[in-house]
Amino acid sequence: MHRLRIFVSRLLGSFGRLRGSRREADLDAELRAHIEALVEANVKQGMSPADARTAARREFGGVEQTKEAYRDQRGVPFLDALTLDFRFAFRMLAKNPAFMLVAILTLALGIGATTAVFSVVDRLLFRSLPYAQDDRLVSFGLTAPIEKNEFVLGAGYVDFRHNPGPFVRVAAMQPGVAKCDVTEQNPTRINCAHVEQSFLPTLGVEPILGRNFTPEEDRPKADATMILTYALWKNRYGGDPNVIGKTISLDGKQTRIIGILPVNFEMPMLNPIDALMPLALDEDEQRRSNSGVPLRTFARMKPGSTIAESIVGLQPFFEAALQGAPAPFRKEIHLSIVSIRDRQARDARLASWVLLGSVFAVLLVACTNVASLLLARATGRQRELAVRAALGASRGRLFRQGLVESLTLGILGGASGCWVAHLLLKVFVSIAPEGIPRLQQASLDLRVVIFTFTIALFSAVLFGVAPALASPQPEQLCGKEIRATTRSVLRQILIAAQVAVSLILLTFAGLLLRSLWNLERSPTGMSTENVLTETVALAAYRYPQLTQQIAFLTALKTRLRNIPGVTSVAISDSLPPAGQMRSTLLTAVEPEGRPPMPEGTGGPVAWRAVSPEFFSILSVPIVRGRAFEAQDEPPSQHPMILDETLARRLFPNEDPIGKRIRLFRQEAPWRTVVGVAADVRNNGVIEGSDPQFYLPWENDPVEFLSNAQILVRTPLDANAVATWMREATKEQDATLPVTIERMSTRVEKLAERPRFNAVLLSLFAAMGVALAAIGIYGVVGFLVARQTQEIGVRMALGASPQNILGMVLWNIGRWTIVGAAAGLLGAWFCARLMSSLLFEVGAHDPLPLAIAVLLLFAVAFLAAYIPARRATQIDPLIALRYE
Amino acid sequence: MTPPSGEVLQGTLDLIVLKTLDAMGSQHGYGIAMRIQQVSEDLLKLNQGTLYPALLRLEQRGWISSKWGVSENNRKAKFYTLTRTGRRQLATETESWERMAAVIQRLLGTQGA
Repeated sequence: MHRLRIFVSRLLGSFGRLRGSRREADLDAELRAHIEALVEANVKQGMSPADARTAARREFGGVEQTKEAYRDQRGVPFLDALTLDFRFAFRMLAKNPAFMLVAILTLALGIGATTAVFSVVDRLLFRSLPYAQDDRLVSFGLTAPIEKNEFVLGAGYVDFRHNPGPFVRVAAMQPGVAKCDVTEQNPTRINCAHVEQSFLPTLGVEPILGRNFTPEEDRPKADATMILTYALWKNRYGGDPNVIGKTISLDGKQTRIIGILPVNFEMPMLNPIDALMPLALDEDEQRRSNSGVPLRTFARMKPGSTIAESIVGLQPFFEAALQGAPAPFRKEIHLSIVSIRDRQARDARLASWVLLGSVFAVLLVACTNVASLLLARATGRQRELAVRAALGASRGRLFRQGLVESLTLGILGGASGCWVAHLLLKVFVSIAPEGIPRLQQASLDLRVVIFTFTIALFSAVLFGVAPALASPQPEQLCGKEIRATTRSVLRQILIAAQVAVSLILLTFAGLLLRSLWNLERSPTGMSTENVLTETVALAAYRYPQLTQQIAFLTALKTRLRNIPGVTSVAISDSLPPAGQMRSTLLTAVEPEGRPPMPEGTGGPVAWRAVSPEFFSILSVPIVRGRAFEAQDEPPSQHPMILDETLARRLFPNEDPIGKRIRLFRQEAPWRTVVGVAADVRNNGVIEGSDPQFYLPWENDPVEFLSNAQILVRTPLDANAVATWMREATKEQDATLPVTIERMSTRVEKLAERPRFNAVLLSLFAAMGVALAAIGIYGVVGFLVARQTQEIGVRMALGASPQNILGMVLWNIGRWTIVGAAAGLLGAWFCARLMSSLLFEVGAHDPLPLAIAVLLLFAVAFLAAYIPARRATQIDPLIALRYE
Repeated sequence: MTPPSGEVLQGTLDLIVLKTLDAMGSQHGYGIAMRIQQVSEDLLKLNQGTLYPALLRLEQRGWISSKWGVSENNRKAKFYTLTRTGRRQLATETESWERMAAVIQRLLGTQGA
């Protein structure tokens, strides 16, 4: 208590700056009064005034020493000195604005880029998910050629869920989201997910209001119930707690609202949803059926158990599931357990690590640059330090001074880094493609800011304090500078490191750019010019029958066809180059008179239903036979068109035209191949396309017509036509949600993510090279300045400017070569890690590597040449007198 | 180098100042210094300046308080007064000093004998 009071009173003494000057005046007055009194007393004793004063001084002791002791007693000396140090540091930095600007800018760029990238990948790679003990949550199930995400079939699952093997709890949901229509006043379409009753308990999520589904509510034919997301509850019901227990009309069915989800709730697969509904799995029906419905399944592992252990524990279930699977499937089905985090990150994971790695490399280059700068400054200030040491500054005091200066730099760099990060993050989000999970949520938050400041302070202190550790040599007082050879070597090594890192960055950027170039030039098999697409999703409650859907779309097609300037209109159920195509297996495509395939499924085969104009609008060439015609459309006709890959696969060395094929199942009608179309890219760009066939639209009762793609070809301005299309659709059904896009945009979107990666990495590589150039420029300039005298001597002894230039360049060139060699080695080893990000480029493609090396050497040469030329212009006479 | 006799012993200045203030009531720095010299009959060589950090220290501890006032020869001066805790502190310190002095005395006495 007592100690605390003393400390507080001293702290006030340190920081009560407002009264600081008054305090000093008081002290001054008090001491002066004392001395005056002494003088007076001495005069009274008969001394002369001058003697009296001298005697008084002697009696009193040193006034300044007293004041100093008094000040130390008044405040906390450490803090007082620290404030002084900070002020001094600011003054020193401000005195040398070029140094300060370069150092802070370098730090800001490095730290800013690192923070921005960290903000982006943080959510993906590090941040905990909004579930209790999220590290124990997994997605489990089977994977098959046509479904690469884990799934489970209902028939096996209904028994498994009562005895979930290696898991504490399991929960299933219907894959994807379903569209539901709220049909009361103010109708709207929302995304619903159908989940099992155990879904929320498995994730460890509790509704913030109301409750979870009961087991009774999760049975078939139970009264309909739903749980709303926080957003829907706020937006549609104004956050009214009385909404619990109310019923609303959902898809024409009275549905009771029983709970509200937490605000940060998200689905394990990150699907956007508005409400949860019970899955209501009918156990008997699932058991009776051959395999049952496909389900997405999640589980909570037992504490302390690993994924590998769980896979072993899941084997019995897997064996049972295999028995239920159709025979051709069995060989190609695998058991898979993936943590939810990995399932979410998927292919973004590698890219995230590559970006994070590269940005750390940039940070490294930035830090080495600042280190070089600080080293240069420290060398230049050796004399100052020596003088201060001679005047009585302790080593600790000098060390602290160095520390404080570095900290000041670190704080300034960190603060401006935050600002740069904020800007960069905005840029990232605006240029980022769709489908990078969680990017939209990326923001600078406290964690990221702490991360930044830690980096800033750490790098500044690390590189700033190192030179302050050496005690100043008294010889430095004499004015002759001592050649700091060790430091020169250190700086050269730093340069080599910068060159190496920059080279790796450049190579990576080169590889990604090359890959992007290949991507954009890779043929899609179609022409997208002057084509607009309209996606319509027909509400099931408005158009429940297939005939109604066909009627609607036919009418809409006629309307769109009548828009002036529209030359043709086609309908399809999916679109290249990356659409949710329907898919079957090669075994389900049986040519007439061919024995069934011996084993395996033959892999997936994609298909789509199209209207006759599809091929002409997208300029997909028909290489044999003919396209569909209007008379093919009625259900009585059974034509089909193969793509070249499938035609080759099914009828090698034969003419496929006129051949008959039965699809999917035994009782289906025989179809006649009427044509062969050229291959079209379907699975995006990176993955190869599966073989494909086409059926006439409306020809076969197909299930997914409610999501139709309408293609419109027009030579007119796309925006104008899009407006007319929207109006035409509205006239037919005002409630229909419509998306209109240019076909070319859809194709460009494919390359968006690779482009994003390439742009970012190029940016980092450019930063790295720029920083390395600054570093080289600085080091050469510094060395030339230090060697002025030596150069003068050499010139006086007859060295030509070329000799000098060669000497200076070779000095830096050696280390650049060392760095480049290290960089080549690094690039060679690291490039393999990112090979899955590349498209038609080998990870060890020599071209990007060669260009990177050339570019780097050119930049390094230029950066070194400018200051090196200065060396050749040294006048020996002046140089010899220098210092 | 042996310290000259009469140097103020480390840690005793506080006690001396407290005792002086106890005897004189409110007093300024000069007054305290004069009094110490007078009482010690100039045997104690006090560097008068060292008084001030000591006064501040005692004030920070709450043993004395200070107030600006006017001295006997009409000068502005800061007057220090013993507080109640200061008085208590003086009592404990006096006691412990006496005990210490007695112990030292006895030690020296036995050695001398």
